[in-house]
Amino acid sequence: MRTTIYFKDLRDQRRGFIGWSIGVILTVGIMGAFWPFMKDMPDIAAFVDAYPEAMRKLFQIEAMTSGAGFFNVELFSLMLPIIFLVFGISRGARLVAGEEEVGTLEVLASVSVPRYRILLDKALALVTTVSGLGLVTFLATWMTSALFGMGVPTGEALMASAVMAFLGIEFGLIALAVGAFSGHRGLALGTASALATASYLLYVAGVFIEELETWRIVSPFQQALAGGPLGGGWRAVFVWMPFVGVLAAFASGWRFDRRDLSS
Amino acid sequence: MATATVERSPLDDVALTATISTEGLTKHYGKNLALEALDLQVPAGSVFGYLGPNGAGKTTTIRLLMGLLRPTAGSARVLGLDSVSQRQAVQRRVGYLPGDFVGYKNLTGAEYLRFLLDLRRHDDQNVMLALADRLDLPLDRHIGDLSHGNRQKVGLIQAFMHEPELLILDEPTSGLDPLVQQEFLALVREAKDAARTVFLSSHILAEVEAVADTVAILRRGRLVLTERLETLKQRATHRIEIEFSQPVTTETVIAAPGIRDVLMDGRTALITVEGSAAGLFRLLGPMGIERVRTHEADLEDIFLSHYQES
Repeated sequence: MRTTIYFKDLRDQRRGFIGWSIGVILTVGIMGAFWPFMKDMPDIAAFVDAYPEAMRKLFQIEAMTSGAGFFNVELFSLMLPIIFLVFGISRGARLVAGEEEVGTLEVLASVSVPRYRILLDKALALVTTVSGLGLVTFLATWMTSALFGMGVPTGEALMASAVMAFLGIEFGLIALAVGAFSGHRGLALGTASALATASYLLYVAGVFIEELETWRIVSPFQQALAGGPLGGGWRAVFVWMPFVGVLAAFASGWRFDRRDLSS
Repeated sequence: MATATVERSPLDDVALTATISTEGLTKHYGKNLALEALDLQVPAGSVFGYLGPNGAGKTTTIRLLMGLLRPTAGSARVLGLDSVSQRQAVQRRVGYLPGDFVGYKNLTGAEYLRFLLDLRRHDDQNVMLALADRLDLPLDRHIGDLSHGNRQKVGLIQAFMHEPELLILDEPTSGLDPLVQQEFLALVREAKDAARTVFLSSHILAEVEAVADTVAILRRGRLVLTERLETLKQRATHRIEIEFSQPVTTETVIAAPGIRDVLMDGRTALITVEGSAAGLFRLLGPMGIERVRTHEADLEDIFLSHYQES
């Protein structure tokens, strides 16, 4: 069977993927190990009350009294989104712009493979890898829940992990798109990171500032985290995350096909 | 009725059978001019030396031909195809070595070359393996662990391995040791013998001189000369050392046609002659020539003068 750019890129990422997977498993596992102590805390209600109201609202801290709620607060509201964003954005920026800066794209783009095909293969490799990390997150959540008696429903664990992957895919594809558009890895990293930060700020600010409340829905964090993600169930708004990423990659393909490659 | 005969140079016919043909090919980067109105014809089946100092626009021309850059104005046809609208078709039939070749460091030479063959949908690995053997490249080592010279060999092999009709090589001998350079020149000659065209850029005259039929000189983005190497050699100066059996005066030697310079040392004359030396020997033959030593035609002077001319 012939090797394709897709399979080569997957192969390139296997070591990094294993490292990130171990990181996710440890993070979820260690956090789960705290649950038995949390659960048995006699004055957990007082502990929760000690948080400012805004924090309680943002992180749904009241829900910490259940295993799913605990994971929502400690993992799925901030830590795992950050892990998926860093994973997706760093890979997305490297796949085209990184290759262009290092110089390997010069040959790749001159062996009669259409440029849209290069971009498509790389986008698919990114989506596959981030989805793979999502699967690892699901397995780690599911096993940790079983191990420490957290009672997280399997379907919810799967849905929440998929939502984390959607976040990584969206911003990873945005980084890939900016890289393919511009040829600059730094710009790709910076733009995707800035957009992620702005999205998070909008999501947070929308809790406190009434005027921003209606705009919150455009934030991928709102789309991903409102109502959960653990326990929130399937919501149609999730589709926006991969859709916006694919749209960005598609739009950049037009320019990537026509622009000068830097040497 | 009078008829006028227009003398045609061999280069006039080239346009009809050109493998590469550019018309007013221009590339600007913002206000920087990289290439200005290049009209170039590369004859099919030839070895074309593309010379010029660093920064003259050689790499820009090559990247325009490969469709990696888009011209600001003008156009390029490669194997009869437009380099912009038919980029893939051009690339399918061309072997390209970039001026600054970089392979994937995490792949072995074999993995990288097989990957590129796969992308080209070319299943025959025999040429690749034979080339690696010939250039003495360890295919099982990671590209990141190879020396600069060995990495360049990987670059050369990927350009040659699918036996393309046209080879476009940007500074191909960079980093190669002299033995491998010789092997490379042999590869170029073999490509020519197989009726393939080789477009070779370099800032080193000697390597181009050894294989090229035609040379072009580029300076500051402009073409300053395109000439068959033979013609150029005829115009070039030769240095001839003649030892006479009897004393000869400088005036006698200088009377011969094409003499540029004469240096007498006893009965030995060091003569610089332009073009053919036949007239020189006809004149000096009767003076009793004992020994003659000739030096290679000095093209370097011609090239340097074009490099530096304003």
